[in-house]
Amino acid sequence: MFRFNPYSPEIDADPFPAYATLRAEYPCFWSEDAEMWVLSRHKDIVMALNDWETFSSAKGNLVNELPGRAGSTLGTTDPPRHDRLRALIQKAVTKRALAHLMAPAQSVAQKHLEALKGRDQFDFVAEFSSKYTVDLIVYLFDLPPADLEIVRDKAVMMVQTDPVTRQKGPEHLAAYEWMREYAANLVQERKKNPGEDLLSQFILSEIDGDKLKDEEILLTVTTLIMAGIESLSGFMTMLIKNITDHPEVREALVANPDLIPDAIEESLRFNTSAQRFRRCVMKETTLHGQTMKPGDFVILAYGSGNRDEEVFPNADVYDLSRKPKGHLGFGGGVHACLGTAIARLACKVAVEELLKAFPNLSKVDQELRWMPSTNFRSPLELQVKA
Amino acid sequence: MPTVNYVSFDGQSTQLELAEGMTIMQGAVMNGVEGIEGECSGSCACATCHCYVDDAWLAKLPEMSENEDEMLDDTASERKPNSRLSCQIKATAELDGIVIHMPEEQE
Repeated sequence: MFRFNPYSPEIDADPFPAYATLRAEYPCFWSEDAEMWVLSRHKDIVMALNDWETFSSAKGNLVNELPGRAGSTLGTTDPPRHDRLRALIQKAVTKRALAHLMAPAQSVAQKHLEALKGRDQFDFVAEFSSKYTVDLIVYLFDLPPADLEIVRDKAVMMVQTDPVTRQKGPEHLAAYEWMREYAANLVQERKKNPGEDLLSQFILSEIDGDKLKDEEILLTVTTLIMAGIESLSGFMTMLIKNITDHPEVREALVANPDLIPDAIEESLRFNTSAQRFRRCVMKETTLHGQTMKPGDFVILAYGSGNRDEEVFPNADVYDLSRKPKGHLGFGGGVHACLGTAIARLACKVAVEELLKAFPNLSKVDQELRWMPSTNFRSPLELQVKA
Repeated sequence: MPTVNYVSFDGQSTQLELAEGMTIMQGAVMNGVEGIEGECSGSCACATCHCYVDDAWLAKLPEMSENEDEMLDDTASERKPNSRLSCQIKATAELDGIVIHMPEEQE
């Protein structure tokens, strides 16, 4: 009997064989382990993303939602309010608006790579991607530089789920509470001394005289910190894993750094860190002979849609020349990732600088330890050789 | 299923049937029609799915949001009166047969 258990360490490590079965045999699958439906085909996921009236985000978008979060973040608010909230910060995070991030990103990357000079081997996660992403978010959000390691540790902890109890454990909830408190202090301080940073822009925004509620500001700030630190570092780690798993790709990128954006897009398709998000069914919907009832939750398995042969031929092959469009690496529709331009720029600069410093970078053979998470997938550590 | 006619900048025409509710942007990127990028994945945040809607169909489109209007000021090719972002237009029976012209460049 086929099962799909998003809590299992096997799925954390390699969800792709299970995804293939889901797509082929159970395209609308009731997972007893998750107590949710699972949609795995690209077409069905896109359909659900487009139809927010049937597949609502307002009851939470994390597979294991954090307490009190649903309804108070961009990602857990439906249109039309969502669209108004999002419009407040959208302009500040377009590709054009973020050109100012290029030079700081380069210098931050160079600083952390300089510290690794002369080393034979290092952990890409702890010694590069964590530090680099934290520094970028400090710059973008103008965070106080003290306690940054702790901010990162909490961001990484709060997205995890206990694989045994299948719930957020006390350590995960404590991390979330810590981050809320941190965000609350930050919001208070920023209201008193607003600056030019992204957080100030968001906090001070008003829509048609309708101010954001304090809870909305707080939880949105919490989510932006989580995404900017954990999700970005997680994806960057997957990108480097792909590049080091495919030496021919690394060589191509060293020879022609203009290909780096293609490697990023193919990584977003091949094994994005945002594997699964959820929606709540609002009206009875029958799909592939299964009937989903109002109130049922549905997992949209982006990572599976990205391996759907109907859209991406030879989907299990990492192909630098693919230039995939329409992938679900950032989700899609109204709730697609807000930080796409930040992520693309940050990853491009990181890979450029990394391969300049370490053109022969390779992966140390190791059994990777994967983050226990029902949403995200990335290794906790990635040892690489210079 | 509604039909969408995509016309490339050099005049080549591609006709696709899209499932109702699919956006014009998704129809292009999922079927390999060149000329539309959709970098932001359809959240009206990048203007790389810019298109010119054939005048005959313009009046049938849903009204543009303030956000789309602002994004259209950032297009790579010239903004015209019939400019829209194709991620904001869903294929519907009413738009069956719509003609979409692609701009010269998106980035």
